Amino acid sequence: MTTNRHLLGWLQAAPLIAVLLAFLIAPIVMIVIVSFWGATEFSIYPAFQFDNYEFLFGSAVTYQVFGATLKYALITWALTLTIGFTVAYFLAFHVRSMTMQIALFLICTIPFWTSNIIRMISWIPFLGRNGIANQTLLSWGVIDAPLEWLLYSDFSVILAFVHLYTLFMVVPIFNTMMRIDKSLLEAARDNGASGVQTLVHVILPLTKPGIMIGTIFVVTLVMGDFITVRFMSGSQRANVGRLISNDIALLQYPSAAATAVVLLCTVLIVIAILLRFVNIRKEL
Amino acid sequence: MGRRPRSFYVLAAFFGLFVLFLYGPILTIGILSFQGPQGGLTFPMNGLSLHWFRDLFQEQAVGDIWGAFRRSFALGLMVMITTVVVSIMAGLAFRKRFAGSGLLFYAAITALVIPSILISLGVGLIFSQLGLRIHWATSGFGAQLTWTLPFGLLIMFAVFNRFDKSYEEAARDQGATAWQTLRYVVLPIIGPSLIGVALFGFTLSYDEFARTLLTAGSYNTLPLEIFGMTTNVTTPVIYALGTLTTLFSFAIIAVFLLGAWIMDKRRTRLGSDAGRGI
Amino acid sequence: MAKPKVGYTRRALLRTGGAALAASALPAPMLWAQDTKDIVLRQFGTGVSNLNDVANKVKEDLGFTLEMTALDSDSVTQRAATQPDSFDIADIEYWICKKVWPTGNLQAMDTARIANYDKIVGIFRSGKLTPDSTIAQGTAPHTVGFVDGPGSTSFASAETGWMTLIPTIYNADTLGIRPDLIGRPIESWTELLNPEFKGKASILDISSIGIMDMAMVCEAMGEVQYGDKGNMTREEIDKTMAIFTEAKKNGQFRAFWKSFDESVNLMASGEVVIQSMWSPAITAVKSRGIPCVYQPLKEGYRSWGGGIGLSSSLSGMELDAAYDYINWYLSGWVGGYLMRQGYYSAVPETSKTFMSENEWGYWFEGKPATDVITSPTGDTLAQAGDLRDGGSFNDRMGAVACWNAVMDENQYMVRKWNEFIAA
Repeated sequence: MTTNRHLLGWLQAAPLIAVLLAFLIAPIVMIVIVSFWGATEFSIYPAFQFDNYEFLFGSAVTYQVFGATLKYALITWALTLTIGFTVAYFLAFHVRSMTMQIALFLICTIPFWTSNIIRMISWIPFLGRNGIANQTLLSWGVIDAPLEWLLYSDFSVILAFVHLYTLFMVVPIFNTMMRIDKSLLEAARDNGASGVQTLVHVILPLTKPGIMIGTIFVVTLVMGDFITVRFMSGSQRANVGRLISNDIALLQYPSAAATAVVLLCTVLIVIAILLRFVNIRKEL
Repeated sequence: MGRRPRSFYVLAAFFGLFVLFLYGPILTIGILSFQGPQGGLTFPMNGLSLHWFRDLFQEQAVGDIWGAFRRSFALGLMVMITTVVVSIMAGLAFRKRFAGSGLLFYAAITALVIPSILISLGVGLIFSQLGLRIHWATSGFGAQLTWTLPFGLLIMFAVFNRFDKSYEEAARDQGATAWQTLRYVVLPIIGPSLIGVALFGFTLSYDEFARTLLTAGSYNTLPLEIFGMTTNVTTPVIYALGTLTTLFSFAIIAVFLLGAWIMDKRRTRLGSDAGRGI
Repeated sequence: MAKPKVGYTRRALLRTGGAALAASALPAPMLWAQDTKDIVLRQFGTGVSNLNDVANKVKEDLGFTLEMTALDSDSVTQRAATQPDSFDIADIEYWICKKVWPTGNLQAMDTARIANYDKIVGIFRSGKLTPDSTIAQGTAPHTVGFVDGPGSTSFASAETGWMTLIPTIYNADTLGIRPDLIGRPIESWTELLNPEFKGKASILDISSIGIMDMAMVCEAMGEVQYGDKGNMTREEIDKTMAIFTEAKKNGQFRAFWKSFDESVNLMASGEVVIQSMWSPAITAVKSRGIPCVYQPLKEGYRSWGGGIGLSSSLSGMELDAAYDYINWYLSGWVGGYLMRQGYYSAVPETSKTFMSENEWGYWFEGKPATDVITSPTGDTLAQAGDLRDGGSFNDRMGAVACWNAVMDENQYMVRKWNEFIAA
């Protein structure tokens, strides 16, 4: 019976295993292999050399770029967490009717289903030197000259990240909040806890799994991104993803692969740390 | 209903700002897509017209929007069906806690967190080294599954965590075979969630950019085409396209919601169709 | 959706089952007998010349189908070098050819089959515009334009009768400016780094071209003396990059652009007032009624040329169709279409018949327009009395200081470029 169970399990999981082997494990293995290869201007050739890693770790720019990537991830995480938690808290505990909750929740999720690139570029007419934001501020007399840092800057990059990814925080946090037994809150209030005390000592600990899941999404999405940074900084800033995509565009696949390996290790370490705080399978 | 605490109004205002933040830019391009024929990509509005929507249906100077749309739609459906089927099977498998399931689970999580461009790069490299032709329906399809399947799987976990096993036991006690239990008990109960899986599968594929970038081959999918347009187009026609794709996404969600609602209705009206097969 | 393209299935057949037959050099027509209208040729290239209008005209004039895919320069190089199966016709630049030719993905073309070969301008044959002009630095088209024969992977130094690319389109590039926002004359490449334009300058993020613009600037500033701008040493590359990295860190640049339409948007929205730019981008800005000048500079132009290459897998009827296409391309209609956007055609005299006297005078001869000048799509580009920036064909192409290039130290340059973008 047990062997039967294992066998059946394997059979049912086989399609998933096949897809992951072919399109996840194999590509990773391939990237690791290619990171030791050499490249000419137009082709790559098998070799076993450390040139790509030497160049990568030998360049000051690499450290700057990894630093910038972590900076983007950290700031975006802090902002999405604050906004996401507040929004989820409002939806879960302040909106009283179920229908209203679902309706407001849907309103939050709908933009998520539209093209990321469209959502990104739609900021440009808003933030540009002659964009709506500057025009409005100028006409109100708040500023005398257009603000240059609104577009093609770290500000616009992070703004776009927050815009794109806050939802990945809202959904899991809302999900865990909805599972909190309301009687616990009543008990806290009955025992004289203030609203803030309830929030900090009851809700926050119970919401931790949701926060962790949201964190995993936001951090990995930001760390792996390359397109948002390109669009919103006018190619002026870089993160690791852009380093990789530039290398790919210039046909330097081995160099791209080496950078990719380092990025993958970084992301997996971060995720491994986060997973220590939450058991995803149980908390869904 | 008691009186609302003051914190409610503060939070409600915050929520309102958040919604404005989410929709503001989309509204901006929505408005700009109605630019007059001489209008540019930025304000001020230069007249008001449907010119750019008409323009969208005519041939562009470069590229092939509608071909890209058809490909994305087809790919979305392929990914959706595969995601639903594979996720159910994997979800059932994980309930059996088979040996090695932990490893497989971590592989799925890796697929979820791995930067998309790595999948794109790796799949592209494998295909080129094996001398295979990359195509959106082969390499592109596979690359997208690594993104949609973990999502589907996570939803299945959420579903089966809440699943009451006694229904199955009851069915088995009545003499139902494993297949009958699945078909007439389990599937009808998890049906609405499968709509969620399908919705995720379709829209994640339909919007996927990074994983398709190096794996689509000669023919662009819609996001790749839009990406190309951001560098190739200097008129509000791209906003018109943005507005239309947004409306299309809304339509897709509406269809799925309607589907879920109808299923729910039918279930309340008829009760579960459990038992009808025996 | 997955309906196989006729052209594709037959090519697959050729490679597998039909390969033996093809190899035995049978007169193919019996086996491949089919209508021209079933032929599908897949062309890719930059958005500059991969225009749907051209494909439609091909269908009309020649009967077969041309599928166009437009990509940015880097993707073009990538596809030409790594995905030989994905195209039949490559519309690439000459410096890309230098990279791609050694891969063997393209086949040499027999000039005897090119009707207008003798009328192609000297730049693409002897390298000289007029018999006494000097040849500019960089990857000049004629240096990578010929090979000794079919199958040869190294370039020949003179005309051989076997061409790598059939030249189609070329131009002389310089800086574009917004005269209304600058308000004073601009005469030198050095102005790109002038602190006066801090946060309002831009250059393009295509390494092979961008490095040449940088070199023009650094040389004009007197900061770097180059042995050959088209083939820099590591030291020269380092110096050039250092100057621009410094400028970037000081906030000189508003953005970098990758396709010429991005440069249009940057210029038209006023984000940028001076930047490297391509000719049709200028006309696109102008057509919106925004003043924009393609400023001739005293140090000269940076020039580029593009051409059509044939995939080495083309054969039989499709190869014939491809030759028909090339001959059609040089016969004037496309040339006229491209010249009316501000490019030059490889065979100007055939294009002349497809342009009005006014258009020919304005675009090619540098004469004042006698009437309104419109683009092929109908936008007004110039009024009667206006002059083309930079003057006539000979004035512009005669003042080329360097060609877009691939250097021996290209890989090093590319890595440094990547660092510059990331810095």
